[in-house]
Amino acid sequence: MGIQPTELSENDVQADDAIPVTSAVAGRSPTQIALSRLRADKIALVCFAIVVIFVLIAVFAPLLTKMFGVELHAGNPVTDLDEFNYPAFGPPDHGFTWKAPLGIAPNTANDLTAEWLYGARTSLFVATVATLVSTVIGVVVGLLAGFSTGWLDRALNFVIDVFLSLPFILVALAVAPIIVSRFNQQPDKLVFWQFVALLAVLSFLTWMTLARLVRGEVLSLREREFVQAARVIGVPTRRILFKELLPNLVAPIIVSISLGLPAFVTAEAGLAYLGIGVVGAPSWGQTINKAVTFFNTYPLYLYAPIVGVTMLVMALNLLGDAVRDAFDPKTRR
Amino acid sequence: MRMKKPAVVLATAALMTLAACGGGSGNSGPTASKTLAAGGGAGSFKNKDAKAPLAMPSDASKGGTLTVLTNQVPAYLDPTQAYFTDSTAILSDLVTRSLTQYAYNEKTNDMQLIPDMATDLGRPSSDNKSWTFTLRPGLKFEDGTPVKAEDVAYAVKRSFAIAELPEGPTYNTTFFLDGDKYKGPFKDKGAYNGVVVKGNDITIKMRRPFTDMDYYASFPSFTAIPQAKDNPQTYGNHPIATGPYKFVNYKAGSELTLTKNTNWDPSTDPGRIQAVDGWDFKFGQDTAKLENVIINDNGTAKTTLTYDDVSASSYRQIAQDKARLVTGTSPCTFMWYLDMTKIKDVNVRRAVGYAYPYKAAWKAGGEIIGVTRVPGTSILPPGTAGRVEYDALGNKGSETDPAKAKQLLAKAGFKPGQFEIKFLFASDDDLSVAAKNEIVKGLQAGGFKATPIASTSETIRTDRTDPKSPINVRSSGWCSDWPTGGSWFPAQWAGSLVGLDGMPNLANFKQKDMDDQQDHILDTMTPQQAAPAWGQFDKSMETKYYPAVVTGYDGTAMMHGSKVGGMENDNVRGMPTFARMYITK
Repeated sequence: MGIQPTELSENDVQADDAIPVTSAVAGRSPTQIALSRLRADKIALVCFAIVVIFVLIAVFAPLLTKMFGVELHAGNPVTDLDEFNYPAFGPPDHGFTWKAPLGIAPNTANDLTAEWLYGARTSLFVATVATLVSTVIGVVVGLLAGFSTGWLDRALNFVIDVFLSLPFILVALAVAPIIVSRFNQQPDKLVFWQFVALLAVLSFLTWMTLARLVRGEVLSLREREFVQAARVIGVPTRRILFKELLPNLVAPIIVSISLGLPAFVTAEAGLAYLGIGVVGAPSWGQTINKAVTFFNTYPLYLYAPIVGVTMLVMALNLLGDAVRDAFDPKTRR
Repeated sequence: MRMKKPAVVLATAALMTLAACGGGSGNSGPTASKTLAAGGGAGSFKNKDAKAPLAMPSDASKGGTLTVLTNQVPAYLDPTQAYFTDSTAILSDLVTRSLTQYAYNEKTNDMQLIPDMATDLGRPSSDNKSWTFTLRPGLKFEDGTPVKAEDVAYAVKRSFAIAELPEGPTYNTTFFLDGDKYKGPFKDKGAYNGVVVKGNDITIKMRRPFTDMDYYASFPSFTAIPQAKDNPQTYGNHPIATGPYKFVNYKAGSELTLTKNTNWDPSTDPGRIQAVDGWDFKFGQDTAKLENVIINDNGTAKTTLTYDDVSASSYRQIAQDKARLVTGTSPCTFMWYLDMTKIKDVNVRRAVGYAYPYKAAWKAGGEIIGVTRVPGTSILPPGTAGRVEYDALGNKGSETDPAKAKQLLAKAGFKPGQFEIKFLFASDDDLSVAAKNEIVKGLQAGGFKATPIASTSETIRTDRTDPKSPINVRSSGWCSDWPTGGSWFPAQWAGSLVGLDGMPNLANFKQKDMDDQQDHILDTMTPQQAAPAWGQFDKSMETKYYPAVVTGYDGTAMMHGSKVGGMENDNVRGMPTFARMYITK
């Protein structure tokens, strides 16, 4: 079996007194190297902080709305709007008020601060779950396809090809009315299943690239000596897959996750904008959809969710780039 | 009549995607709209002596092209099939003349029924079972051939061909002689006895008294169609013009270009002018884009108009230039039809009327109260002849009273949260979802259990009229075909309609005393007696049975460029008065 850098005992290195400059040659795992590179990257740190802030907002959305003294879907159109259906207090006509820091929506009088905070929650939740599910599926299918030869590889490849041929938007458009007609008589279930359907569409139609990537890596790795040695001494396949091969795939997987997250945030907002995403829960995409026509008269309505999406996606993307650079041993700076 | 937005209006009514318009910013409220005041009518007045030609307005310049941008797409432009407000207005006002027509009256700000191709408004026999119209001399088709009475008779026969030309108005099958048997000139090669031609006289015979024939004769299906040039599949691509403009280019779903019809003689037409050289209709346009074009008023936008209601977001900008906003009513009433077979106790039905969150649902649905949605309590909209103003619940059609609703529910023996109201909404339409949220809040406050049933904009119409749908309330509406009760109650509230395909009677309303009253009005009364009788029928039905919650009347608010002249609201259709429009000097 080939010796993995991760399996080198650090004690062995440090105990080697024959070499005088101990600290300079201290063995470090690729992950440790990558993390230290990341720590030195100021942009990565700033982006990481922004992402952490968004995560905190998402986790503590209910507390934050309480702190601002606002509530979700509690507006009363009769009392909170003027005769033109514009807000009777707060922007765009009446200046800033703590009653509604980001204003209230025309027509419905829903509080936009609460919508924004819960929108962050929806965005991050959808992105995280979809990333996790698609990564797990992608890695498992990729490992199996790459390591197995013969019919299983061909079958899995065929499945990958089939899924790659499904147009993402069309499937989302097709699924939405099916869910509506299936659960149209149970409003609570409808909201839940619409959410599940969105997650399913996002997860099950995006794992193929990662699966192909992993399969390619495995194809080259499985002919290496350490894998062949493991086979010779009778290590079970499961163990070879997860203990020998998977650790060597950490870098591409992490890169795929870090680039997948922002893509899912955008996809969720995009689908909600098309009216086929999350319907029951607040979402940035939905707010953007409603606010577009008010752009001339009430720009804040549109800006708040756009700033949210842009900041989150940009932070995640830059962080993803930094992670990729850090994990790629060929990167030179 | 069907509205220009069939899918939305007939589907969601209270949940419509209409939006704002009206008064100035702040000072004058939007309720200051002129045609909403008392007396604003929907063509309930007739003037059989209107003289041709119609005088050209003094500020009208000759020539130019008016551009019409709209989000809508007209369904059919075949005169026999025109039953939506947009196709009816385009054909009747500009292209195909009928026996009678509506014309705008500046003094009353109202539409009047006046003669068109006929010399008067028709002469009924004493029992209203036959109507005679006389054609004017000098009428010509666009190719110069003279219009003969036979061409009109052929158009009347053609309107029975429902299989070949579906979706048109169908009063002829109800009222005309042999209307139930005759299948139109394509299938039925034999003679039709319902229309008799003698010289320039056309006599239409009825099988039951029909008092509103003069109004019905204004539909494009009562135009002149030369039989030799008719092909039911393609005639709608180029209906032969008798009016001031003719088709040049029509691409279904995207555009229609009209140019001057030189064979139209103004001295035969008391209701139309031919000021501009042509019309350019562009259908299916993006709302935000077209509103921006008209608001900015640059270049050709000065001669551009739309017949879409201005959206809530654009309303503020156009409100500062009130001269470019035309407001008024269209004769449509929105209702929540309470299914009589599922909500059997009248106290429960009244409780729904008290619990319904009128203002909140309107605003959440994007309506501006008093402008695009006018509160009301009578089923017949303002301006209908013989309309009776009443208030069955005493809530002005806009006040919600949850306590009263709970009290009535208790009287009917239901605990709070026990009686379930199930209604449809379109889950892919933001405004529909927002209005649904408010309705759920309101019904719950009034002691009901509210279960919104999800549908989509595509399917909501069929879901609503599917007898198997698990709903006990149907949100919809109705528009006058002509401004008397005769185009309202026999079409939606007759017991004989219960159980028919397409569910015309949305409340499943079948009460013997009410059906007897309808037959009495239809079969024995003169037009003068029938109009007030329908008003009373309206009142007694709502007071005694309360089968529908009236959720307001439809308002209209349309924008135009600064050089568009003569644009008023045609309150029979809720459309611009195309027939009298011009470009100002």
